[in-house]
Amino acid sequence: MEADDEGRSPSGSVVVDLASADDPRAMSRMLRQQRVHTIEGMFHLLTRREDVEAALRKPAVYTSRPEAVQLGNIRPLIPLSVDPPKHVKYRRILDPLFAPKHMAALEDEVVTLVNQIVDRFAAKGSCDFHEDFAVPLPCTVFLRLMGLPLADLDMFLEMKDGIIRPPGATQEEQEPTRRRTAQNIYAYFEKTLAERRRAPTDDLLAQIMGSSVDGVQLTDEEILDICFLFIIAGLDTVTDSLDCIFGYLSQEPEHRRQLASDESVIPSAIEELLRWESPVPAVPRVLSEDVEVGGCPMKAGEHVMLLIGAANTDDAAHPGVDSVDLLRNPNPHLAFGGGVHRCLGSHLARIELRVAVREWHKRIPEYELVPGTVLQYTEGLRSLHHLPLTFAPAG
Amino acid sequence: MRITLDVDRCQGHGRCYVLAPDLFDADDFGHCVLLVDDVPAGREDDARTGVENCPEQALGLE
Repeated sequence: MEADDEGRSPSGSVVVDLASADDPRAMSRMLRQQRVHTIEGMFHLLTRREDVEAALRKPAVYTSRPEAVQLGNIRPLIPLSVDPPKHVKYRRILDPLFAPKHMAALEDEVVTLVNQIVDRFAAKGSCDFHEDFAVPLPCTVFLRLMGLPLADLDMFLEMKDGIIRPPGATQEEQEPTRRRTAQNIYAYFEKTLAERRRAPTDDLLAQIMGSSVDGVQLTDEEILDICFLFIIAGLDTVTDSLDCIFGYLSQEPEHRRQLASDESVIPSAIEELLRWESPVPAVPRVLSEDVEVGGCPMKAGEHVMLLIGAANTDDAAHPGVDSVDLLRNPNPHLAFGGGVHRCLGSHLARIELRVAVREWHKRIPEYELVPGTVLQYTEGLRSLHHLPLTFAPAG
Repeated sequence: MRITLDVDRCQGHGRCYVLAPDLFDADDFGHCVLLVDDVPAGREDDARTGVENCPEQALGLE
């Protein structure tokens, strides 16, 4: 579909969605011709690396206040919807829990999980990668990490989808599902917190419950607001990244063989494919004051989308980023965002992605898309509706 | 050659200490700690890799 300069199709609906685009790079290139696009009554889009980076670094102006992301939550999401100085308090508690050294201890467990998941379909010689692998893996890792029962997996998937992908074409139609799901999430974790007080455990949730800053412990509401964000930020995004990476590799056999034959390529390949695909293609902000970018005035209170995907492929900022190089160096991409709100779970995500790609290719180095498949990406966050793969039955 | 770190800019992406672990390390929050000020002879490429992969431009060489 053709969009005009304002990002509207001839019918007037907004078509700027890098997530679901067949070729988000081409759409990004078109968008970058102009530093700012304004979609009247909705938001401004920042398209270039320099501007996106500058905005990420000014959280007092480009705020992440609660209006930026509304997902049925009744209080601000912690730490996403809190800006400095209060934000610092929460990140001081959470950053150490998600620091690379802490996350590295999970690696063996993720190896076991990935292999258990592959066991379910390896002998069959086919799977829907999205349904069978990309969806269950991050959710199972999350349940283990939080010490929650694996039997709750389906309920968690329902909660995640009820917030991120509720049925309905408009915000209004989606709202009832979101609100109901949000209530379920709060209720689930309220019950869990009460149980944990009676019978303490030793896991991430216990660490959060026991955390304090300057001698003050987190309140129950604060813990609930952290858990709420974990569900919506931690589960879907890793599914999206897995879909993007395997969707790409299933269609690019040379690159697939490059990493399958030499696992030392995998860490940089993951950085490169996160950059190329940008599974979270945009992050929303709300302006606290009037600003002007490239001659375009933007007013306090207006919403701005920082187009991470367009910034990550901006060849004016970094020449050569309009193609894939699995060994790209340097690769200072913004796939995990930037500034104070840099994705808290990025180091966990990297372990999941690295182990998934490595273990999968040990077991199933050769695979291809089921012939005739046309991949369809989802809106908002870039995952696949389905990713049907075939391969030689493996042990 | 010296490595410089702007601690206010570092957001804990962790690219530097993953790519050049004997030049950069992480503190408890996952933020960068410089292990050397002066880059040892022969390690200039690794230093440059750590510096240039920082998405926040928190690292520099002088």
